[in-house]
Amino acid sequence: MLTVAKNLYDYRELMATLAWKNIAMRYKQAYLGIAWAIIKPVTLMLIFTLVKSFVGIESGDIPYPILVFAALMPWTFFQESTSEGVTSVVGNTALIKKIYFPREIFPITSVLTKLVELGINFVILAGLMAWYQMMPTVYILWVPLIIAYTILAALTIAFVGAAVNVYYRDVGAALPVLLSLLMYASPVIYPLQLVKDKLLVQQAAGEWSDMLYTLYTLNPLAGIIDAFQSVVLRGTPPDLSAMISGAIMIAILLPLSYLYFKRAESSFADVI
Amino acid sequence: MPVIEVSHLTKEYRLGALQGLKQTLLNTSARLMGKQVPERPLFKALDDVNFSIEQGEVVGIIGHNGAGKSTLLKMLARISTPTSGSVKVNGRIAPLIEVGAGFVPDFTGRENVYLNGAILGMSKQEIEKKFDEIVDFAEMAEFIDTPVKRYSSGMQVKLAFAVATSIESNILIVDEVLAVGDLAFQRKCFDRMEDLIKRQGRTVLLVSHNIRQVERLCTRVILMNHGKIAQDGSSRYVCNKFYEASDKQIHETKNSAIKARTESSGDVELESVTLLDASGMQSTYIEHLQDIDFQIKYKVKNTLSDPIFGVGIHTTDFLYLATSQSLGELKPGTLPPGLYTLNYKVRRFPFLPGVYSLRLGVALGGSFQPVYYSENVLPVQVISRSINRAVVGHGNEGFLSLEGSWSINIDHSMNERSHDEAQILSSN
Repeated sequence: MLTVAKNLYDYRELMATLAWKNIAMRYKQAYLGIAWAIIKPVTLMLIFTLVKSFVGIESGDIPYPILVFAALMPWTFFQESTSEGVTSVVGNTALIKKIYFPREIFPITSVLTKLVELGINFVILAGLMAWYQMMPTVYILWVPLIIAYTILAALTIAFVGAAVNVYYRDVGAALPVLLSLLMYASPVIYPLQLVKDKLLVQQAAGEWSDMLYTLYTLNPLAGIIDAFQSVVLRGTPPDLSAMISGAIMIAILLPLSYLYFKRAESSFADVI
Repeated sequence: MPVIEVSHLTKEYRLGALQGLKQTLLNTSARLMGKQVPERPLFKALDDVNFSIEQGEVVGIIGHNGAGKSTLLKMLARISTPTSGSVKVNGRIAPLIEVGAGFVPDFTGRENVYLNGAILGMSKQEIEKKFDEIVDFAEMAEFIDTPVKRYSSGMQVKLAFAVATSIESNILIVDEVLAVGDLAFQRKCFDRMEDLIKRQGRTVLLVSHNIRQVERLCTRVILMNHGKIAQDGSSRYVCNKFYEASDKQIHETKNSAIKARTESSGDVELESVTLLDASGMQSTYIEHLQDIDFQIKYKVKNTLSDPIFGVGIHTTDFLYLATSQSLGELKPGTLPPGLYTLNYKVRRFPFLPGVYSLRLGVALGGSFQPVYYSENVLPVQVISRSINRAVVGHGNEGFLSLEGSWSINIDHSMNERSHDEAQILSSN
């Protein structure tokens, strides 16, 4: 654990430079430039708002467009940093074969890159909040913690995925499919309150209801998205009970994922 | 204390490709049922390599393609890990393994300098401090804000070399980078390398196929062969060994190769070619400046009238160096069918050590119509007991030695002293 922190510190400048490279590379020779970072969540927000007008989703007292945008922000961040992290090692074959530095820098840098895009989306969120005349509360101080937790969740998948992807490119191909499935298992289109009502209040699945809810919250994104919406829009503290099972899972899986990555790392240059 | 210590370093690779899902499942089920599964064969890229390098040593690593040079460098630079054995490095390593790895085409030269510097392990202040020097060395001031994708390949390499050599590390690993840019820039690179080595006292590992360069820069050379260290010693000694091995290899390949380019009318066929040395003994090589006798056996199938014979020497890449023909010197008359032995004696064979080849021809007298012609008939290796290949290298120093004599005289019009007194003579 200590060496991880030391590596991160020693290579902070390289990571910053590589993150800057990733961002600059994406928007060089693109007329819209960095604006592309907001196009995806904004488009999805518009589509979901349109869909919602047909099917009717209970969004409480928060206007649906801003609720779904606040869900899309952590979701898009998680989804993109995971998939970029998984392909980051294979995508940097030229560097891997020529120069040594700790290889975890690649997945970590991918996440850092996405952090910048997340930051840009905060500007849009602030604009939406102003539009709906919502005032941020003191609970907004939870945001950095929630994002840090999201980063850990993304890295859990990114480390092991990136390592396996070196041997079997199937991972890179399968991940987008799995992630889009995960989106429907996360409270992006619908608020978590809907799931709570169905399972915890109405006990819709009978005696299985409580277990199903635990299973649902095993997905860390369930807690993350709900917490993000709570602290930013509802002005309430995060519902920690929805985060516990996910957090325990991440706490167990992240070290394993990292250890696997470090074990596989030494043969990257030979196999890639 | 050595800066680099390599002990019992072995690296194995599995040959063949990674298996697909089907094969993996089949193999797994076979293994579960207790059957033997064919393993992919192993290849030893490095086989029990041992050496250590002291601070300030400049070590060249040479060897044929696939000898394990680059694998060794990868181990030293920590890019790849050994199968067994260990590599200990004390100090910061700057790997110049293929300069320009990590250049982003869309970025400007300036951005790439920062990026490449960071990748090679320089801090931002370090790069900023050296930026002007880098640009100046690469002669790129004019183009530094142009995307690298618009650079010529030479320009890219120049910039990359400038960045890579500006790292302050005590160990520098250089893999075939000096062969970049035009001649003037190559000269500059070479000077920079010499400066790094001689004045800054860095430890340098240089891998190159340019043996002359290695010989000039390095104090010690390691010759690799099939993943093992074949020679390790002073650069002149090891380089000479390498030249010898190289010539021998060419000689052997040519011996086993099928003879090239033969045209024949069918009237005459070549039976055999033999080399006889000065004492009349059969030989596989020719000694430089010794007499040699080419004994050529022809089988004549149809009567030849007054044939003219030819013998020539060419390089392995078919540069004709000498041709001799028998017209006017040999009057064979009419040759009825049968086996004939032709001898062509050369006094003091003048070609410098190296590998050459023989070409032979037979033409009809009068009409000069060729009836037999063949090139690359026999590889001819010339060796020398007296000439050091480090001084006289084949291909760089020419092919022939002239039999001349040297003298130096004081000019009489300028000097009143007598001719005989001032003459200094030296002969070859």
